[in-house]
Amino acid sequence: MEDGVGSEEDYYDSDRESLDGLENEESDPQWVPAKGPSCKVITKESLLAAQREDLRRVMDLLSLREHHARTLLIHYRWDVEKVFAVLVEKGKARLFAEAGVSVVENHDADSPVLSSTETCDICMEDLPSSEVTKMDCGHCFCNSCWTEHFIVKINEGQSKRIRCMAYKCFAICDEGIIRTLVSKRHPDLAEKFDRFLLESYIEDNKMVKWCPSTPHCGSAIRVENDEFCEVECSCGFQFCFSCLSEAHSPCSCLMWELWIKKCRDESETVNWITVHTKPCPKCHKPVEKNGGCNLVSCICGQAFCWLCGGATGRDHTWSHITGHSCGRYKEDREKKAERAKRDLYRYMHYHNRYKAHTDSFEQESRLRETIREKVSNLEERDSRLRDFSWVTNGLYRLFRSRRALSYSYPFAFYMFGDDLFKDEMTNEERELKQHLFEDQQQQLEANVEKLSKFIEEPFDQYDEDKIMEIRMQVINLCVITDTLCKKMYECIENDLLGSLQFGIHNIAPYQSKGIERATELTVFWSATANDTGKFHKPDEQTGGTTESDRPSGSGSSDDNGCSSRKRAREGSFGGSLFDLNLPADVIDRN
Amino acid sequence: MQASRARLFKEYKEVQREKAADPDIQLVCDDSNIFKWTALIKGPSETPYEGGVFQLAFSVPEQYPLQPPQVRFLTKIFHPNVHFKTGEICLDILKNAWSPAWTLQSVCRAIIALMGHPEPDSPLNCDSGNLLRSGDIRGFQSMARMYTRLAAMPKKG
Ligand SMILES: [Zn+2]
Ligand SMILES: [Zn+2]
Ligand SMILES: [Zn+2]
Ligand SMILES: [Zn+2]
Ligand SMILES: [Zn+2]
Ligand SMILES: [Zn+2]
Ligand SMILES: [Zn+2]
Repeated sequence: MEDGVGSEEDYYDSDRESLDGLENEESDPQWVPAKGPSCKVITKESLLAAQREDLRRVMDLLSLREHHARTLLIHYRWDVEKVFAVLVEKGKARLFAEAGVSVVENHDADSPVLSSTETCDICMEDLPSSEVTKMDCGHCFCNSCWTEHFIVKINEGQSKRIRCMAYKCFAICDEGIIRTLVSKRHPDLAEKFDRFLLESYIEDNKMVKWCPSTPHCGSAIRVENDEFCEVECSCGFQFCFSCLSEAHSPCSCLMWELWIKKCRDESETVNWITVHTKPCPKCHKPVEKNGGCNLVSCICGQAFCWLCGGATGRDHTWSHITGHSCGRYKEDREKKAERAKRDLYRYMHYHNRYKAHTDSFEQESRLRETIREKVSNLEERDSRLRDFSWVTNGLYRLFRSRRALSYSYPFAFYMFGDDLFKDEMTNEERELKQHLFEDQQQQLEANVEKLSKFIEEPFDQYDEDKIMEIRMQVINLCVITDTLCKKMYECIENDLLGSLQFGIHNIAPYQSKGIERATELTVFWSATANDTGKFHKPDEQTGGTTESDRPSGSGSSDDNGCSSRKRAREGSFGGSLFDLNLPADVIDRN
Repeated sequence: MQASRARLFKEYKEVQREKAADPDIQLVCDDSNIFKWTALIKGPSETPYEGGVFQLAFSVPEQYPLQPPQVRFLTKIFHPNVHFKTGEICLDILKNAWSPAWTLQSVCRAIIALMGHPEPDSPLNCDSGNLLRSGDIRGFQSMARMYTRLAAMPKKG
């Protein structure tokens, strides 16, 4: 929504305060992650280039040949920084040895062959030296044995690190030799080998992952700095880079996993049924107990004891059934029932709110159409109002905040429940933190509802003054909800998760502009354009990173959003209502 | 398949030629199946296996020598790296440290070396491993010697 900021000033001085505040925050490094476009889409076509980029860096620094650089990088899981760190820490020799790289400094590589024949220690044949191959490690075997060895290893799926055949030699074989020898006997296997090497860049790389879309779009995403982030692939699929499920911040990956499992199982409901009903000993239908009496009767007419489930007669007092002595486990059962009931209510409380927001989120997605209509109605009116970016920005902010809000409920369920952090906090501490958090959550909730109400008003029917008033409200609420979201994330990161003993709960940082859309990878050989640590304002103008600013659908692929964005990009600005990539003044100028 | 056969044939010829070279090892190929071998190895001196003769069974895979042969003791042996019931051997060169440059003969040599230098930290025989690990070397040696006498020595009379 910051995009709309520039143009607001022309109209309202009263906006200044909040807007200034916003701009200050924007320059605060905590507020906007200190990085430029950081996620890249790697397609089948750009995979080679992406890999080469990293290879080149290592080759240049260590003056290595490509296959040695690749061996190094595969060993260090394509972490170039790690390679450099090991180099500094342990020196070149150790770095190479650990990765199985053996660089021959040309000494005996071309030493005159003493005899015209060599004995291969594997097949034990004497062969002309033209039929044997010496690896960089100095071990020499016949081509046929090497080839067999490579074929076995490739078929075993070990293409990426095929070791020399000699005992206790940890050198990785030269991929060029592997390729040449294997392709002579098995061209398709050589191809497979090449593909394995290429895909190692994705498979073995902590910072690169396949897009989890189904059907698979064929792309992978590379992140630069932080693997705990949410991204959008060029196919439109949005996901949590860390766990590959739908974007779920501010819920941590582990919490989210538990939550969806819980929702799927509805285990609480099952609990409820087992605790609150019992099968009739005669017809086996579940019978619910009502009232305090332990004699229950089924619709089939059978009476039975609630405590032990045994069939009984019908004569009883409040606590005793004639001819039936039982009463065992009574207390235990009641305690269990009590706990199950409490757990269920707790779950229901959080689930209902989570569901309510997810539902309104879905309804609001339909709002897009209505909003489009309203804006075009307004545009048709001949009035001094020409800038309607506040409407789309408001709608977008509503989506964004609603999303954060809905995922904050599963977070709270686990944060303040017994499942995960029972021993991490005292009861008092927990209560205190819960209040703090719920306070923020409620504030956000209230403002989101307000924003939603204004956006839904038929303001296109109103007169100009009324519209201006709504506009003010929407702009203010946008700033407020954005700030509240940010604060909620910060509270979660610093005060709640940050104070835990084990840092296994990580959340993607709050992105005011929404989930970052990965940009197509362009390779700069020399430049480190990705590494310049500052957030670049100009990106907004070119629509670089801010692609993601469009209203986004629920985590699943959202073709509507996608196509409207594309239209906006290619087509004229005039119709690009939902192109939040563009600052309002750019839209206006057009 | 062809490669492994050729290689085993080479090893066979080598074994015939070098018969006298290593008196501790006697490798014999099955008459009808070149992928099945047995070996008799002498327990190394100054170990509880001294004086014993142990029989090993080799089963050679078709991918040999790219993949290691399977070897097990046919003679009962009390050793921390040998499974007491199955005779299975825990030895790195028979698993991930295998190199195609090894031969059946050199595997036998490695097994003899293992008899002299048990690795109690990767035991297949927990009892003997525990004895060794707890420092009860005498207990271990007397058990090992007893089994050598019982199973690996030609019966007198
Ligand atoms: Zn080597
Ligand atoms: Zn050979
Ligand atoms: Zn995708
Ligand atoms: Zn996740
Ligand atoms: Zn019944
Ligand atoms: Zn009653
Ligand atoms: Zn009863």
